[in-house]
Amino acid sequence: MKLYFITAVIPILLSSCLKQSIPDAMLASQNSGGQGGSTATLSYKVNGNAVNISVSNADSQDPNYYTLGCTKSSGYILDGLSSSGEITFTFYTDSLTIGNYIYTGNYGDMYFIRYNGQDEYVHAASDSMSFNITTYKNGLISGNFSGQLTPLISAGNPNNTYGAPGSTSITNGSFQNVPVFY
Amino acid sequence: MVQRLLAVIILISAAMRVNAQLGVMKLVGNGSSKYDLGFGGFIKSGYPVSEGSDVTLEIGANIFFLNDGYGAADGTIMCPLKAGYRYTLNGTGEGFYVEPQVGFNLVGVTSLHDANGNQINLNYHGVVFALGTGYLFTAWHAPFDLNFRYETVIDHGGSNNFISLGISRFISFGKRNAGD
Repeated sequence: MKLYFITAVIPILLSSCLKQSIPDAMLASQNSGGQGGSTATLSYKVNGNAVNISVSNADSQDPNYYTLGCTKSSGYILDGLSSSGEITFTFYTDSLTIGNYIYTGNYGDMYFIRYNGQDEYVHAASDSMSFNITTYKNGLISGNFSGQLTPLISAGNPNNTYGAPGSTSITNGSFQNVPVFY
Repeated sequence: MVQRLLAVIILISAAMRVNAQLGVMKLVGNGSSKYDLGFGGFIKSGYPVSEGSDVTLEIGANIFFLNDGYGAADGTIMCPLKAGYRYTLNGTGEGFYVEPQVGFNLVGVTSLHDANGNQINLNYHGVVFALGTGYLFTAWHAPFDLNFRYETVIDHGGSNNFISLGISRFISFGKRNAGD
């Protein structure tokens, strides 16, 4: 029995020398987006008005200049550019994983969306923006999100002027196969 | 779950022969050139199954620092749990032995920085295979084990491989036979 055990272990040990290290394999998988050539999508509604973003071969985008993606930078910042504006959300974490990430009014004013020239913030105490990452595989994240935001009327120093608190509803938020760039 | 597993291991260890080891180790293979010498330790229990062999259970921690200019912030930690079969070549329970092992990496973390200076933490587990050889002897009335081991952790399509040289001290709660 001992000879069989040793004989079974030796080939596995020898073949392991030919593999790349686990960190290199994980980074290569994340940067290549797994199979490659995936289409990333992000959609949501701003007070019932639909916004849709779709990018083919999303994992091949320039990591420094992309239409839809997520970048590691003091946390993880998701950005999406559409014909009507922009959406951005920061996952305040050192290691991005499946789960819920929420920003509330208790944390201070924060910009999240621009829609037809109107900037939307978490501002009032009752405001929030919540993202759920449901899958993270092969360097691609998918999930859903929603929020209640306050429109910015005018930027000022030291204080901005805001509109009706919580008057902007972000609903039906969904993102699929968004690449994470390191 | 990990806490319960550790508690079970401690209880099992208390009923068997246990040895604690410290050792130096070096990552080898692809991606290992930037790593300094590492160190680690383990606690191993052995249950005699014959005059010259033991079934072993081992839990350890191995730490390797990455020499990439970020000091001690970057490196790799792995905590494998392994079962093995230790066979002494002379069949007496002392002297030279061979020990293949197989197990699971309970915790694997590699911290490093990317080209932009952002820290990345990679978490993984993986299957563990190891093959070791050593020499069991008694010195100053205490049982010791001097050993050399090659170990690999396989996960995500890659593997972390290292060699280890260590010395351990037996803490015996039981006896192989009346002659021990």
